Amino acid sequence: MSQTESRDIQQATTSVASGQPDAKTRRYDRQLRIWAASGQAALEASRILLVSSSATSTSILKNLVLPGIGHFSILDSAITSPADAGNNFFLNARQSIGKPRAQEAVPLLRELNDAVQGEAVLKDVSELLSTEQGKDWIGSFSLVIAHNLKKDSLEQLSALLWANPNGPPLISVRSAGFLAEFHIQYHEHCVSQTHSETAPSLRITRPFPALLEWARSVDLQNMDSTDHGHLPSVVILVRAVDEWRKSHDGNLPKTPAEKKEFKSNMLAMRVKPDEENFEEAEAQAWRVWSEPAIPSDVQSLFSLPPLATSPRHNATFHALLETLAEFTKDPSGPGTLPISATLPDMKADTKSYVQLQNLYRQAAEVEKNKFKEIFAAKHPEIAKTANPDEVDTFVKNAHHLRVLRGKQLGAFDKDRDAIVNSLSMQPREAATHLALTALSALLSREAEVTVDALNTEVQAIIGEGIEFPDELDAAIGEVARAPTADLPNTAAFLGGLVAQEAIKVITEQYVPLNGYCVVDLIDSWTGIIG
Amino acid sequence: MMAAAVAVNGTASSSDWDGRYYHVDQILDRPGPRTDPSFLAGDEVKEFLREKCKILVIGAGGLGCEILANLALSGFKDIHVIDMDTIDISNLNRQFLFRPKDVGNSKAIVAAEFIMNRVPGVKVTPYFGKIQDKDEDYYMQFNLIICGLDSVEARRWINATLVNMVDPENPESLKPLIDGGTEGFKGQARVILPTVTSCYECSLDMLNKPTAFPICTIANTPRLPEHCIEWASVLEWPRVHGEKKMDTDNPEHISWLYQIALARAKEFKIEGVTYSLTQGVVKNIIPAIASTNAIIAASCCNEAFKIATSSAAYLNNYFMLIGTDSVYSYTFEHEKRQDCPVCGGESLDITVNKEWTVDRLIEVLVERQDIQVKKPSLSAPGKQIYFQAPPQLEEATRPNLEKKVSELVPDGGEITVTATTLPFNLSLRVKYI
Ligand SMILES: [Zn+2]
Repeated sequence: MSQTESRDIQQATTSVASGQPDAKTRRYDRQLRIWAASGQAALEASRILLVSSSATSTSILKNLVLPGIGHFSILDSAITSPADAGNNFFLNARQSIGKPRAQEAVPLLRELNDAVQGEAVLKDVSELLSTEQGKDWIGSFSLVIAHNLKKDSLEQLSALLWANPNGPPLISVRSAGFLAEFHIQYHEHCVSQTHSETAPSLRITRPFPALLEWARSVDLQNMDSTDHGHLPSVVILVRAVDEWRKSHDGNLPKTPAEKKEFKSNMLAMRVKPDEENFEEAEAQAWRVWSEPAIPSDVQSLFSLPPLATSPRHNATFHALLETLAEFTKDPSGPGTLPISATLPDMKADTKSYVQLQNLYRQAAEVEKNKFKEIFAAKHPEIAKTANPDEVDTFVKNAHHLRVLRGKQLGAFDKDRDAIVNSLSMQPREAATHLALTALSALLSREAEVTVDALNTEVQAIIGEGIEFPDELDAAIGEVARAPTADLPNTAAFLGGLVAQEAIKVITEQYVPLNGYCVVDLIDSWTGIIG
Repeated sequence: MMAAAVAVNGTASSSDWDGRYYHVDQILDRPGPRTDPSFLAGDEVKEFLREKCKILVIGAGGLGCEILANLALSGFKDIHVIDMDTIDISNLNRQFLFRPKDVGNSKAIVAAEFIMNRVPGVKVTPYFGKIQDKDEDYYMQFNLIICGLDSVEARRWINATLVNMVDPENPESLKPLIDGGTEGFKGQARVILPTVTSCYECSLDMLNKPTAFPICTIANTPRLPEHCIEWASVLEWPRVHGEKKMDTDNPEHISWLYQIALARAKEFKIEGVTYSLTQGVVKNIIPAIASTNAIIAASCCNEAFKIATSSAAYLNNYFMLIGTDSVYSYTFEHEKRQDCPVCGGESLDITVNKEWTVDRLIEVLVERQDIQVKKPSLSAPGKQIYFQAPPQLEEATRPNLEKKVSELVPDGGEITVTATTLPFNLSLRVKYI
């Protein structure tokens, strides 16, 4: 964990001088270690709409109420059936039968966490979709989640939410027996806190002045042998690169022979054969020739075409992204991304490690200020109003930024080439998706769900002349076996997966799904499609 | 496979209502295209699941709460649960059967009562204690065991116990073990058929290596806030408090460690020592959220349901989930290790330098990720090499620490490793280089 992050968590988990946290932060301790105070604040500010109070829906909600979302509404006109009372943990078994399902579920969900508000709205979604007031209400949430909604209602809901890029994303979940899928609909989702596990560049080949100065000034031959064995590997590498460049017209090692020579030159600086810091430097030598100036994932964001439907709240992120591109091109800058202030642990004595850490921090501060100057010059209006924390977080995570651009629910099904292609490339995912899509069509017509009827529906989606893979028979057969089964384990599995994606979307931390996640709990796999 | 292994228990429940199992029965009334022909659709499988099957849940924490609820709704009615822990406030963000009023009470007992209240007709028998308190006769009564633990040591114990229980003459002695674990947005679920598939011990090297800081770094060249915290807990606590044991659940003890670590950090100009980090390091806290536990617990219960009913094929044998970047999962067959000390039968070959002392060999063993042993005692056939306890024996064998292994054990000879943390005797075959 980085130090800024641990400070952030500390702010979240500490209230008194002795350092001991208060009751609320003790309660949330295990999750604050994942998404910190900023993620928790985002969760607490969120308002979530669940369309349906099925077993799957309440399982999803449970996993959102526990970590502490702000508010939830369940929209459901259903009356609790004996079947609901048997598979839904958030109903009072037999006592709930005959009573409004959402109304029965709300208190049992609310008792999971006093800090969360919740309400039941005993109407059908189609009723709300038919009035402007109802539509506005649906659009007022941070996120809308629907389970096994009728096809026409779902299509209307999806169209309504897609039409307003500033409105809530939609997660739609479909399940039958052991099979399930869910889709997240958003125009664009930007993340700076991806929590990537790849370490950012230490800038060995592009050292900032103070680091280069240190590396050049070290007297390797005459220094104390203990100090020699505790010289940080970064300094050794910068020194080795500097010397190599001097004798190679400023170029870096390229060929395998040169790389080998570079390593042996570096190891020749040792005064004892077993100096661990030199072993570390050798293990990190790949950074000298394999580290691009800018990671390709970030570079590709610089040429992202503008998106007319980019949500308003992404404007700052895009302005920062443009600033970042500008920063890398700035002739007075380092020609790469702003340096990270976080230094990994390495073999060193305390003094030289702390010194090195301070150098990286100072360099990061200098470059961040440079970045902010460019930001203010290029986007004066946004820079004035932008939250300084957002800017700091962006710069700190500049090496791992992500932008996801999504599709409307159902767009994949209209793209025949994509469907046909996926049937051969990802047959099990495509087959399961098609079987569930066919089921949805049959259920909305209240037609009987048989293998033949499902086959006909699938044929209608993919067209004539395409051979069905075996996976399709397996998926269709399984859907026909249990077309309306909301199994407790499938519901719980989806409850976890969907809540996890909801949390990622709300906190804008980690990277959410783009497309459909398909689940098969017979062979126990998940896959992504569309 | 389970439908044949029957221990009759209880009679048809009067608490069922028409339509209660509408959802689950869609699966149990007919086979799917991938269902094994041995599946006995209809009343027979329902009767086995609801009247005869007895299942044990080990752990009533993050995974355990979820597992109990899923099993109860799926139709298991005779459920036992073991947990030695009491409820802490930091459990409430995910262990959803517990409320603030339950803090301090037994997890197993509170969870069992909650389930029986919410899901009528389900009997949950709690045991507030350690799994090691129970013997083979106890474990023999179950058809299936699901394990939702965060302790590696306890999992190794139950795994070794179940492998040992297998009697080839008695098919019912083979108890399927379903094991789940989570960390943050990641987790895994697996099915272990003791002696048949790879076991928990077979995959020990897949665990993340626990971060261990060399004592010389802690003492001489601290660089990270963690080094200062380790200094406070490993060196300063015993120096200042002597015999008094550190209790990582005592906030005053954590506060003391925090202050000491903070002072040391200040002295060395190291930043980042916080109360939260101190607690995290000394308690070895694993981040945990409800959603990941829900996924993994559901996967475990789904496998239990499929094994108990044969309604679909079960996992062979490992499901791994990573939810940090989109939804990534990987399902694969983990291979059995022929030299697995629990289920492999062959002794583990170990290459030993001729010059190594016994002390050095112990160091090497402690370091090995596929063995994971603390404070091992060593013996050779008819010879004590080194014993950690009792004190007299330790003293008597201590001189051997300085001797070369090659002076004590011949090439190709066997060394038996025992330790309190090791639920079996590990035999090593020595090869010198
Ligand atoms: Zn094994």
